[in-house]
Amino acid sequence: MANTVNDFTVNIATANGTGSQSANLILLHSMFEMGVPVSGKNLFPSNISGLPTWFIIRASDEGYQAPGDVTHIQVVMNKDTWLADVEKAEPGTIIIHNMDVKLPVERDDCIVLGMPMTKMARSINPKLARMIANMYYVGALAETLGIDESAIASAVAQQFNGKEKAIELNLQAISEGREYARENWNCDIGYTVEARDKDPNTFLIEGNEAAALGCIFGGINMLSWYPITPSSSLAESIIDWLPKLREADDGGATCAVIQAEDELAAAGMVIGAGWAGGRGMTCTSGPGISLMSEFIGLAYFAEVPGVIWDVNRVGPSTGLPTRTQQSDLTLLYEASHGDTQHIVLIPGSVDECFEFGWRAFDVAEQYQTLVFGFSDLDLGMNRWVTAGFEYPDEKLDRGKVIRTQEQLDAIENFGRYRDVDGDGIPYRTLPGSGLEPILYRGTGHDEDGIYSEDPDVYAATVARLKRKIEGARDKLPAPVVREEKDKQVGIIYYGSVENTIAEIDDILETTTGMKVSTCRVRALPYHSEVERFIAEHDQVVVLEINRDGQLFGILRKELPVELLSKLHSVAFSDGIPPRARVYAEMILETLSGDTKEVIA
Amino acid sequence: MSMRPIKLNVIDLPKADYTGGPSSLCPGCGHDQISNVIIQAAWENGIVPERIAKMSGIGCSSKTPAYFLGKSHGFNTVHGRMPSVTTGANMVNKDLAFLGVSGDGDTASIGIGQFIHAIRRNLNMVYIIENNGVYGLTKGQYSATVEKGSKKKKGATNENPPIDLCKMAINLGCGFVARSFSGSKKQLTALLKAALSHKGMAVIDVISPCVTFANNDESYRSYNYVKGNEEELHTVDYIPHFTPIEEVEVPEGQFEDISLFDGSTLRLETLGDDHDPSNAVAALAAIHEAEQNDKHVTGLMYYDSEMKTADEELGLTDTPLVDLTEEELRPSKQALEELNQSFRA
Repeated sequence: MANTVNDFTVNIATANGTGSQSANLILLHSMFEMGVPVSGKNLFPSNISGLPTWFIIRASDEGYQAPGDVTHIQVVMNKDTWLADVEKAEPGTIIIHNMDVKLPVERDDCIVLGMPMTKMARSINPKLARMIANMYYVGALAETLGIDESAIASAVAQQFNGKEKAIELNLQAISEGREYARENWNCDIGYTVEARDKDPNTFLIEGNEAAALGCIFGGINMLSWYPITPSSSLAESIIDWLPKLREADDGGATCAVIQAEDELAAAGMVIGAGWAGGRGMTCTSGPGISLMSEFIGLAYFAEVPGVIWDVNRVGPSTGLPTRTQQSDLTLLYEASHGDTQHIVLIPGSVDECFEFGWRAFDVAEQYQTLVFGFSDLDLGMNRWVTAGFEYPDEKLDRGKVIRTQEQLDAIENFGRYRDVDGDGIPYRTLPGSGLEPILYRGTGHDEDGIYSEDPDVYAATVARLKRKIEGARDKLPAPVVREEKDKQVGIIYYGSVENTIAEIDDILETTTGMKVSTCRVRALPYHSEVERFIAEHDQVVVLEINRDGQLFGILRKELPVELLSKLHSVAFSDGIPPRARVYAEMILETLSGDTKEVIA
Repeated sequence: MSMRPIKLNVIDLPKADYTGGPSSLCPGCGHDQISNVIIQAAWENGIVPERIAKMSGIGCSSKTPAYFLGKSHGFNTVHGRMPSVTTGANMVNKDLAFLGVSGDGDTASIGIGQFIHAIRRNLNMVYIIENNGVYGLTKGQYSATVEKGSKKKKGATNENPPIDLCKMAINLGCGFVARSFSGSKKQLTALLKAALSHKGMAVIDVISPCVTFANNDESYRSYNYVKGNEEELHTVDYIPHFTPIEEVEVPEGQFEDISLFDGSTLRLETLGDDHDPSNAVAALAAIHEAEQNDKHVTGLMYYDSEMKTADEELGLTDTPLVDLTEEELRPSKQALEELNQSFRA
């Protein structure tokens, strides 16, 4: 049989709460251990025990991280989704199934490989049979794909960190699974892994944990949060890591953690912390942002620093809580009633989750405003490669805070909201300092913070706020641009699309010869480089994981009108992490109208 | 011309250092009397003005932080959410004295959740409710604390049962629960001083007549009604920690001294029935009985000094978090390298 090396997708269908996550991570980590470029995605409808879960592992020497368009190997373990999982398989798919589920696999056009996984598991430990059964498909895949025993052993050891009994038991099950496959199957299934040189510095980590560590290195000293998928693990990672990384000399905590009564309170606590001079942060998802919106406007208008991370899930409303989307971008950028505009940092990798984790606090204090970190479920809750996080290259920037009478005296004509430096950013003093105390308010106020409804004062205040945020454009993280010599087609994208863009790029080139430049936006308000990129390309596609083209909408509103005719929106979301071919085809379709000569 | 010497408090500050801007509330508003009590209490207690943080939500009452303690920072936040903003500020600067002012709409309706949870956490603050039973800024709609049978100047009699914030606070385990009346300056001043000397959440529900929308005699929160129907649990007297208690004249009748966190004393002189403020059941009974008779019971309802505050519960380092240095806030480069290594292993 022809053999494909390091280029296939495995889809594992299991029930939540059966220990399948451990089995799946062992597979993922063992391949990663061998240096095989691999990515894993967990598709789960809920965290409720017993509901179906699919884990997608993609091996790709090209480094493609999207789930892939075709499933090559389908593992079926879950009786509830069994028939659909079997039916959906493309002809030629390898179907590995647990014979003890006793459901049919009537697919003559597929390679069907059965193993009595539960029975075998029961023979080594009757009590834990349901969980250990999963290790048999690990063994089966290890044998058929050719995963090294040492890599499996190392992944098992990592997964059951120090629990000798569990390690022994699971290794035995994996080994029996291997043996069964060897003795009963034709293991030449046409897909294998081959070891590659692994960068010894690399490891896999979830975006949420990376962001959490970033926050800790950013000096967070107040975390308020309300549990919501998919952001809870960000807060919980902070809670886990704080005692290890941030304990004071007297053994006390240097960051207060409060599980709030709701997202409104969580936002209020962030604002209270920022007002008092601290570094407050909360994390949530779209529904939480909706609830926080009133407070977000207060922070904008009263000019209070703070950080809010939004790990986007599928909306609107409760939506699909465990699926991924980039649909909160407009919500964040213009959150709250009245004219507002907020700074949004948009990481596209776990490295950037870490970096923006600490940087967000600096930006918030520099501009005395709320700063959003914008991630999504795919980036936040799946594991991605990093070569290690980089230490912040600059000191904490606490912004324009007056801490002494001397500093205050040096400012001519101080007023809490007076633009002394011409950059729209005023100076502030902190509660407790006794320096120029004012009553902060969400009502209209003059340059000294005194209540005012004067038309000129109001107009000047909101104009200054606009100027202040506008001034951040080119100081925020610049886009990552990769340009072709021939600047015909450019693709603008952001966030977790980073994991799919290389494959989209290759599909476009191999199928049509089209060479596209790419520009990954990393912050709002967008950098002037983005405008330059658009100006220099003939056609520009804005690619995003939502229905309406939210970044496209922002660009259309803010770009010079003469650039608009070259801008196209390609936006699609069905809750599943983006498959490259779907987007590539949409791009071609969109461009075909006016760029026939380009793709001919 | 001889000048009268300016009276100074225990830290040598004149009362002028505790005043604020002119009030823009309706002339005669009960809230202005409460503002004056706040000024008086803070001055007489000798609190350093800049160490106070004034917090409020939205409503007539929440405007008042502009009218007192002009040397203190303050935050007039959003409707019903003062407790959460105070929580965040308290976490990063536990050494500030937080004085929250709210109203019945702000606390008993839109903000009832945050009120409850601030009590549940025992947030270290004084929480004053300026309670007039109506929404003044929007022209006099009933609020959720108005008594059944009470009638404001215009409109129908209220038929919904009230939410009694003192009952609620006692049931939630709040360690300092008092009720007073904006017209009872002496009692309110003593209770507020005691609240400022307390560690933990101190709730003072102050009946404060709305002169514009509900000061008619059919309103249970009108000045005349409260004057005629107030039942004091005891006479309260506050003895500050800087006044030797031996020098204070001993009352003739029975009394109980409550020792407060900062060393001050709240002296409760018995009036008629004896009220034991450490007995939550008795406190609730007193409120229920008064309610049945359309009366307002006032005084220190309940007191418990043993509870840990929110910041203590979290085991924060001794230095207020806002004063931590960069070295304390950001782990070292070596710490990050070790972290990276631990992930690689």
